[in-house]
Amino acid sequence: MIKITDLQKYYRTEEVETVALNNVSLEVKEGEFVAIMGPSGCGKSTLLNILGLLDDPDEGSYLFNDIEVAKFNERKRSDLRKHNIGFVFQSFNLIDELTVYENVELPLIYTKVSATERKKRVEEVLEKMQIMHRRNHFPQQLSGGQQQRVAVARAVVNNPKLILADEPTGNLDSSNGNEVMQLLTELNEAGTTIVMVTHSEHDSRYTHRIIRMLDGQTVTENILV
Amino acid sequence: MIRNYLKIAWRNLLRNKGFSLINIAGLAIGMASAILILLWIQNEISYDQFHTKKDRLYVMYNRSVFDGKLWCWQSTPKIMGPTMKMSYSQVEETSRINQATFLFTVGEKHLTVRGAFTDPGFLTMFSFPLINGDSKTALKNTQTVVITEKLSKKLFGNDNAMGKTVKIDSNAYFTVTGVMKDQPNNTRFQDFEYFMPWSYMKKIGWDENNWGNNSVQTYVLLKPGVTETAANKAFLNITRTHSDIKDIDQFVHPISKWRLYSKFENGKITGGRIEIVRLFSVIAIFILLIACINFMNLSTARSEKRAREVGIRKVVGAQKGSLVGQFLGESIIISLISGIIALVVVQLSLKGFNALTDKELFIPYSSLFFWLISLGFVLFTGIVAGSYPAFYLSSYRPVKVLKGTFKAAHALVTPRKVLVILQFTFAIALIICTIIIQRQINHAQQRDLGYNKNNLAYVFMTGEVEKHYTAIKNEMLASNAVTAVTKTSAPMTEGWSDSWDYSWKGKNTTEKLDFDIYNTDGDFVKTMGLKLVTGRDIDLKAFPSDSTAMILNEAAVKTMGFKNAIGQIVKGQGRDWHVVGVIKDFILSSPYEPVKQMVIQGPSGWFNVIHFKLNDNASTENNLKKIEAVFKKYNPDYPFEYNFIDEAYSKKFRDEQRIGTLAALFAGLTIVISCLGLFALAAYMAENRIKEIGVRKVLGASVSGLAVLLSKDFLKLVLISFAIASPIAWWAMHKWLQDYTYRVSISWWIFAITGIISMAIAVATVSFQALRAARANPVKNLRTE
Repeated sequence: MIKITDLQKYYRTEEVETVALNNVSLEVKEGEFVAIMGPSGCGKSTLLNILGLLDDPDEGSYLFNDIEVAKFNERKRSDLRKHNIGFVFQSFNLIDELTVYENVELPLIYTKVSATERKKRVEEVLEKMQIMHRRNHFPQQLSGGQQQRVAVARAVVNNPKLILADEPTGNLDSSNGNEVMQLLTELNEAGTTIVMVTHSEHDSRYTHRIIRMLDGQTVTENILV
Repeated sequence: MIRNYLKIAWRNLLRNKGFSLINIAGLAIGMASAILILLWIQNEISYDQFHTKKDRLYVMYNRSVFDGKLWCWQSTPKIMGPTMKMSYSQVEETSRINQATFLFTVGEKHLTVRGAFTDPGFLTMFSFPLINGDSKTALKNTQTVVITEKLSKKLFGNDNAMGKTVKIDSNAYFTVTGVMKDQPNNTRFQDFEYFMPWSYMKKIGWDENNWGNNSVQTYVLLKPGVTETAANKAFLNITRTHSDIKDIDQFVHPISKWRLYSKFENGKITGGRIEIVRLFSVIAIFILLIACINFMNLSTARSEKRAREVGIRKVVGAQKGSLVGQFLGESIIISLISGIIALVVVQLSLKGFNALTDKELFIPYSSLFFWLISLGFVLFTGIVAGSYPAFYLSSYRPVKVLKGTFKAAHALVTPRKVLVILQFTFAIALIICTIIIQRQINHAQQRDLGYNKNNLAYVFMTGEVEKHYTAIKNEMLASNAVTAVTKTSAPMTEGWSDSWDYSWKGKNTTEKLDFDIYNTDGDFVKTMGLKLVTGRDIDLKAFPSDSTAMILNEAAVKTMGFKNAIGQIVKGQGRDWHVVGVIKDFILSSPYEPVKQMVIQGPSGWFNVIHFKLNDNASTENNLKKIEAVFKKYNPDYPFEYNFIDEAYSKKFRDEQRIGTLAALFAGLTIVISCLGLFALAAYMAENRIKEIGVRKVLGASVSGLAVLLSKDFLKLVLISFAIASPIAWWAMHKWLQDYTYRVSISWWIFAITGIISMAIAVATVSFQALRAARANPVKNLRTE
């Protein structure tokens, strides 16, 4: 599903050029659950952003479902993204002004799903995430674990093929963290490909494969399953 | 999607109540000001534009050289109208206007009414429809009158006035042959409450054929197809052709230019009220812009908060276009709410604004056009105010905002600063202008007017007053209510008459010199409290030959070149006047202009007004009661209506005071709106720098030091605004003052004071937020990361 080859990414300020990604190549197959690990600043989030088409590489190739997307413009990336990729962030990133229901509904609005269909799908996914009873609450009224469940619900409501999770348990206590990992595992078992950035060895054990990074390069791969 | 946007916009409004309040209040004030000004402008530009024949309507002008300059004026000989109608093929119809105020009596009702004599053609040339009567024939017969609906109500109540009789003054009876729909508030004829036929003027001997006496307005309706140029060519020599006056040209002035383009300089139109219209348009645009700037500033200042939302929306699939739409939608909602509030504000303040501008403006609620314009106005404001934030906010890269590497404060610095500077530049310039206008008014008010206006009053001679004048004068003096009385040709504050028809020994005969004319029957110097330079007052009792006595002002002595004026003979108005006194110049018309040369003619002149000096040692109320009794005794049919000279004189400053008050009002509003914005900006600034403040405090910074640090940046902006505003204001005021010969100088301290005031206001606005931020507990602040 994902194949990147010799990916390069630099960050430039007036005086310094930092190499964020240095000749990274990797492949993720459909149905896989992959963890990317490494110390702070090793480039894992940059990689995840490029995989999620939120950022573009300076050099190298990125094939998404055999289509070269490295040079896609903003519009095409946005199109591809909204139909194929769901995101889960460490800080949840829910919109404070919208209710649980409306937050989850948002991706469907942007993909122009009809109102009745939206209602059906949002309710379905809220049910699945066990937060239906909180549908009319605003994010600040929920616990961290509940907020992350809403975020996961939002990520999957469009039935994306790929979910990118950036330290999804980073802001949660262990029991809430485990719950979220359980959710992701279930999604993966149902067929969704997941790439997750994490610091937690515990969380990485839920995945099939761990890619370790250091200084912008992939250093080792451990195959767990 | 739209519903989602609306929801977010609405919840954002509610969540950030302070922000919303400031934004909506600022925008509403700005819009209300702009609407008021637009209503005013609309009224000005629509003046006399409703006449169906407006493309062919003109007023006649004369043009000639006086004192070396080309002058244009709009009063014409009475004979000009009929002459044009008879002898010029380009003319379809003419009508003259001669204003007159009469006492109207119906039963026990007595009303002093202002109106005009006119030709029958007036009602068909101009679009003043009759509710009752026939426009074509209403003024055909001599003793008929057309009255307005309003006057009809006053005289006859709800009865039909048609065919009823009105007594005019004490001796003439007129039949009402037309009731006219009240004039709209945008015509030069709106003060007239009645029209009487010219033929009556003829009957009572007020009409004459003198081509040298310019006393009425002549309006012309040209035949279809006749251009202005063709008319001017044809009419250039009307006076020359029909009289032996050879040095006056005629030309037409089109109805489209009457209101706004009526200032002539050296024979050419150089502007007029259009300058005020332009000035007000600029002010309206700027006030609205300043309110929009607030919106832009506050929206972008909150960008850090909104940025996350933008990021999330983009991640879940929003494209830039839809985000631009969302933010524009939000600003249009705010603009719509502000617009509704503004309309309420306008409705509430319209009365005051009308009093201030001397107009009868109203909001045309029933006009579809008005609502369309309003909708356009709201959309326009929303788009202007929302465009910058919309495009700015929607261009965020989600990676940056969601990872927290995004720092709005730095990214935004320049445009926001520019906007604050723009606001304060305008506000400061307006303050400077306000101060200078006020000083110019004070300057002119303090000018020595040359006579004593205190306790000086006048009445117009009506009915039987002229006949019993001597008795009235003697009884007033005997009653001790007054200390001096004089009969004059015009009120002391108005120049009603002037002429170049004077000659004296040693006059350069090729030069045409125009003199103001004033007539008095005696005791002039005494009544008015004028200052005699040489000679004496006119006194017919002591000097029987004083019926042709003349007093000159100093300007006249200088113009005539007399070394010793007393005893000189001045020929004019068909008489030989002998000069008996010279007085110091006094202000007759404009307090801003130098006093013109003036002749004061003795008892052989003509008279309209009685002036009297009230007894300073008795109460005004008692004095007036006694005087009223005298007038009632000799002129019982007429109401006793008096005017005080000091009040009449203060009216001369009305236009300037109006401009001054409006400038002050707009300056105040601009400052208020700008400060609202500054206040909110300072709040966001304090929020953004909360960590910096915490760190500084931990390292030992004092509260006052921090407050200064936080305020400094804003004060810098105000200083820059001041530097930009000062030359602009100086230039504008320098130009404005050129219209006044007697004017104040623009001194440096005005700028200094304005600078200090604006800095003080800015400090007061910002320091509240700065102090609050500086006082906060640093530990709490540092934990926010």
